[in-house]
Amino acid sequence: MMPFCKRLALLIFIAVVIYFSLYEHVPEQSAPARFVKIDRFGELVDNWHGPWACIYDSKTGLVWENKSDDESIHDALWTYSWQQQQYGVENGGDCYFELDRCDTADLIRRANNEASCGIDQWRLPSAVELRSIVNPSPKAGQASIYNDFFPHTKRGDYWSSEHERVLTGVYKHLGHGAVAIDFISGEQRVIPYRNAAFVRLVSRPDKKLTRKLEQALKAKQR
Amino acid sequence: MLFPKKSVWALLHALAIVAVLSALATGLRIAVLDYPFLLALNHFLPQGQMHALHLYAGALISLVALLYVLLSLSRALPNTLRPKLKKKSGRFQLVLSYCMRVALSLLLISGWLLFFEPESSAIDAIKKVHFYAAVFMLIYLVLHSAGYYLEYGATILAWISKPFLKLTRRTVAISLLMCVLLVIFIKVIVQQHHQLQVLTIDENKHIEIDGLMSEALWQQAEAITVQTHSGANFEHGSGATPVTIRALQNGHDIYMHFRWRDETKSLEHLPLIKTEQGWKVLQQGFKDFDERRYYEDKFAVILSDSCELNAAGTAHLGPKPLKDKPKHWTGKGYHYRKHGLVDLWQWKAVRSNSMQLMDDNYIGEPVEARAGERRYTAGYQQDAKESGAYKMNWQWFYSDGIVPKRLAINKQNLAPYQGLANESAAFSTLSSLDLDLDLDLDSDLDSDSDSDSDSDSDSAQATPWVLPWFDSQAYQAQQDDYAPGSIMPSILYVSNQFEGDRAHVRAFARWQQGYWSLELFRKLDTQSVKDIAISDGVCMWVAAFDRSQIAHTRHTRPIELNIQ
Repeated sequence: MMPFCKRLALLIFIAVVIYFSLYEHVPEQSAPARFVKIDRFGELVDNWHGPWACIYDSKTGLVWENKSDDESIHDALWTYSWQQQQYGVENGGDCYFELDRCDTADLIRRANNEASCGIDQWRLPSAVELRSIVNPSPKAGQASIYNDFFPHTKRGDYWSSEHERVLTGVYKHLGHGAVAIDFISGEQRVIPYRNAAFVRLVSRPDKKLTRKLEQALKAKQR
Repeated sequence: MLFPKKSVWALLHALAIVAVLSALATGLRIAVLDYPFLLALNHFLPQGQMHALHLYAGALISLVALLYVLLSLSRALPNTLRPKLKKKSGRFQLVLSYCMRVALSLLLISGWLLFFEPESSAIDAIKKVHFYAAVFMLIYLVLHSAGYYLEYGATILAWISKPFLKLTRRTVAISLLMCVLLVIFIKVIVQQHHQLQVLTIDENKHIEIDGLMSEALWQQAEAITVQTHSGANFEHGSGATPVTIRALQNGHDIYMHFRWRDETKSLEHLPLIKTEQGWKVLQQGFKDFDERRYYEDKFAVILSDSCELNAAGTAHLGPKPLKDKPKHWTGKGYHYRKHGLVDLWQWKAVRSNSMQLMDDNYIGEPVEARAGERRYTAGYQQDAKESGAYKMNWQWFYSDGIVPKRLAINKQNLAPYQGLANESAAFSTLSSLDLDLDLDLDSDLDSDSDSDSDSDSDSAQATPWVLPWFDSQAYQAQQDDYAPGSIMPSILYVSNQFEGDRAHVRAFARWQQGYWSLELFRKLDTQSVKDIAISDGVCMWVAAFDRSQIAHTRHTRPIELNIQ
């Protein structure tokens, strides 16, 4: 009888092990990422939530404007001629939010008035800053950027702040222009101020937002 | 003795153990698609490409069963090998053994029937027989082995393995030969493709892509019917529908026609409904990427240079078939190719039909996971497009409420959709709306679908379930005076058509008297690296979706295109 009991006990043990090995499927949660979404009030948004108005890049410490398709000043379809202070060409782009057509100064003025994400120091990025968000492995057929955090990015030229550069080739007769980054190839080139190109503004987060971002990133890493 | 009886028995027994365990493991993994609760056994089931392995295991069981019967009839097997059991347990094992023989017979018959694709009306019943027989086999294995173990302990292993020591070279050689023959048999079996003769037509003949198949040339083309199954909904919830296929080509272009049975024409694609708390999306499973109620009908075609089982080797089952990629959201598995790609065209009754296009996609190697995307789709990707699109009319999807991107400029344009709201009056009174809808509401909506099914296809075009971008304006909360219960389409048409790679397949379908009729056109070779050039011997698979997001019908054997 004893061997039978031992064998029975072993079988029961195996059954219990199998029972506790049963699998419960739970989808994975979002993982910490280089970028952090921020809503228009300056509150942080989880990777898988939205909508969001700005994107913080933990690698460079910059906050980027998020583009949209809502016909607001942030709509990704709007284009701008390059114009700041005494340089450039006014109102060479297309948008709905100005009575005349649009230029880069219009968007900067409007964005700073709006103070989206609690930021009122928006500006054009340098070429180096713009190149820092170029992604050579985007989704098929989409702009060369981190498409999951920067949706609505167009496959075209985005203005940088760098200007008074000498134009060459077919544009030579126009004298000077500004540097743009092409979000198809990721390469930079000098194009005339009058060109209608896209714009993504950038800023540095203020101390309050920086503190919030640092705390959130630490919490995620834990 | 040329073949020691006990050794042959032991060999057959060992082969049966390997084959049955393999068939059960792979089969239960496949069955997770229909019975998600089986995911509980995930740790005991393999992941990845299962269908070919399952076929091999099933063929091995068939061979062992056949040999067992033949050898038993020729008295080449011992009467008994086992030690003498006690009377009660002996009777128990005997009864169990007879039950197993019945279950095994049912398994083999139903399995081979499924491989050769019987009438779609019978498939559901055959699949159930196959599944329950498999469950019995699992129970049998537990009772059979535990019974012997309880009585004899580990010594039973010696009883079933000792005869191996007496295996003659001749027995081993013949066994190996049998295995080689089995592999050849499988290779021959999997070559049993459906053959679709593509009719060659003059390049000056005009075919209108209107879903009507009105040109006489279509009647000259050979039609084949493929029984597809394991989807969602369809007739009596069977998830099965037959698909009849014809094809024409003129040396430059190919035309195809697909006709499949679908009693309900489903266009209500994730409608938006206004509640006391704001707008919500009518859905039951969309939040988990598996909607089966409020979704448009769809149809998909895969084209591949490879005729491998498993939809050209693209179906990889299990929650995590890729170790370095995220888990599949529902745990069922991903479509991807280990190398190269297959073409995937998706016709969508609302989103693409008005564009007169199929969405030109592909299944390639798994892409990198992106931290900002909740849904990872591995190899399933869209071809690039230059412009044109539809957008979903929400700023961000949440199951408990959304903010639309746009509202109709003229509310009267939404009048055709309000029938759904009127018949679902519960929505306007249930202020604490729970979108896991109750059955009463479901039946109301079903009756709406039934009345829809009686209408002709032209009236379907009158309620396209889309909101044109230029008939709408950007959402502003202060202008949102829609009454609770109001219904609005969730699809925003930005422009008429895709342009670029994603628009290579022109297509249009009409629904009439319980059938969808889909006509399509594509260049034989688009020169795109994301498309398959269509030529003789290219294989095709089709899948139908009845108001379901991902639950599609399928078939085992590929359709080989014969082009002269």
